[in-house]
Amino acid sequence: MSEPKQQWGSRIGVILAVAGSAVGLGNFLRFPGQAADNGGGAFMIPYFCALIFLGIPIGWAEWTMGRYGGRKGFHSAPAILGVIGKGKIARYLGVIGVLIPLGVSFYYVFIEAWCLSYAIEYVRAIFGGTALGVESGAPLAQQTAASAGHFGAMVGRSGDGSLFEGGLAPIVYAFLFVFAINVWLVKRGLSGGIETFCKWAMPAMAICAVFVLVRVLTLPDQGEGRNVSNGLGFMWNPDFEKLWEPKAWIAAAGQIFFSLSVGFGVIVNYASYMKKKDDLVLSGLTASATNEVFEVGFGGMITLTAAFVFLGLAGMAEALAGGSFGLGFTTLPVVFAHMPFGNYFGALWFFMLFLAAITSSISMYQPTLAFVQESLGFTRGKAIALVASLGLIGSGWCIWFSGGMTALGTIDDWVGTFLIVVLAAVQVICFSWVWGLERGMKEAHHGSHLRIPKIMWFVLKWVAPTYLLITIGRFVWNDLGQWIAALGQNVVARNTIFLVLGVTALLVMFTYLGEKRWRAAGLDVDGEREPDEDRVPAKTGKG
Amino acid sequence: MTTLGLLFMIGSLTFVWGLAAWCYRKVLTAPAEDHVVKPPDSLGG
Repeated sequence: MSEPKQQWGSRIGVILAVAGSAVGLGNFLRFPGQAADNGGGAFMIPYFCALIFLGIPIGWAEWTMGRYGGRKGFHSAPAILGVIGKGKIARYLGVIGVLIPLGVSFYYVFIEAWCLSYAIEYVRAIFGGTALGVESGAPLAQQTAASAGHFGAMVGRSGDGSLFEGGLAPIVYAFLFVFAINVWLVKRGLSGGIETFCKWAMPAMAICAVFVLVRVLTLPDQGEGRNVSNGLGFMWNPDFEKLWEPKAWIAAAGQIFFSLSVGFGVIVNYASYMKKKDDLVLSGLTASATNEVFEVGFGGMITLTAAFVFLGLAGMAEALAGGSFGLGFTTLPVVFAHMPFGNYFGALWFFMLFLAAITSSISMYQPTLAFVQESLGFTRGKAIALVASLGLIGSGWCIWFSGGMTALGTIDDWVGTFLIVVLAAVQVICFSWVWGLERGMKEAHHGSHLRIPKIMWFVLKWVAPTYLLITIGRFVWNDLGQWIAALGQNVVARNTIFLVLGVTALLVMFTYLGEKRWRAAGLDVDGEREPDEDRVPAKTGKG
Repeated sequence: MTTLGLLFMIGSLTFVWGLAAWCYRKVLTAPAEDHVVKPPDSLGG
């Protein structure tokens, strides 16, 4: 008996699913730090330029390639890029489009467990006690040390295997619970699981964010200039000098990339379940706009403002130096300890981060699932078992090698940062240069409710590939040597790369087997003909 | 917060909220599937 075909239930459903995939911890924790570090309000100039001239057009290209691949019966990045890129090279490069979401899920689900664990700690504290060991009456330095100590102990920073000493640590149970939710949601299918969950979770996230935003904007003045106005000023006052530094422009483009999930392998897969008549131009723009509301509208207003009001200018340098994790899991607990009704808002905030994380992580399993199904011919149940096993092994690796968070950091650097830019470059070149921009634009406009401005053609043909190739070249020239040298100095980091290479080899083997299956089934593996529904039927002589 | 900071903040918020509101309004009031824009003329639309 054949399985029911996966498809989206509604247009708003696919928009919220893609937006859910894009909205994650980076919106609330990474964006404000990047902005404050690169010119404050002035950062929004390169940021919006990157959104309009890189993020949105590349996103449209991904939606288009995905839907076209789906019309030819494919749902995975290797198969779809093989069609768009017309051959083996693009097909095997497409493996990166499965490796990224799967590899990032290895550590992302663990981080998701941190958010849930923090939310539960705050709910507990509502009924008595202190949350996360932070005493609001203690000196600030002591509070920060307590918060950092709690976080370090929770994630097993002290050493490899420390979360398994004397039985499983609570965070491991939290991980298993979160992992089970992910598998259950993905198992329920595209429409019944991912779409239904996102349709509920995205509005819930927005409601949580509004409550926290109102609380932050109405915080009382703490004296010595530590008030909401100056907190907003810390984030938004423009420093135009920074605009002359290339770093601000590169940081803006990087933030847009990571934030919109462009080059992540998810959009291509999600769009492959759309029909030819479904609009994708407006849908893609709406998903991007939703992400921006969470990033600029909430992330840009809440995190640093709250931290400034309670920590002051002196405390902000330390808060930003800790990066996203330091800001989110060490600084903000101190902030909530000082805030009136802080336990309630802490619970709400970390529950919102948990929702943001889970709407992203379920999107990471789906591309691998689709790939395993179509390359090996597995049933959905069997494919879920295989993907869940891979996910468990990868996450288990990150949890066991928790010392200094080396395994997590290594996968984040190589897979979650570097490979994203590589995949985006491969996709844009395949779309604009191999498949052909004219053809791509024609495909994008099928069923469209909006017309893509002509300037975007130029952007997709020249600006985006140039930017991406320069970024890759700059990385290879400046940083690659150091990154490789760092691997040589750390056994865990090196072995983590071997794990990633092992997974890559497995995916390459699946692609090889898949290609044989697809050819045997008579599918157009190399994109040599139009989809069946586009072919004009032969004239019968009547017309 | 400086006046320029306030302007940048209001401008950015207006842009993102305005774009999202415009998009959702268009999505939610979208007519039937056959009412779509044609591809540009150069593509034979």
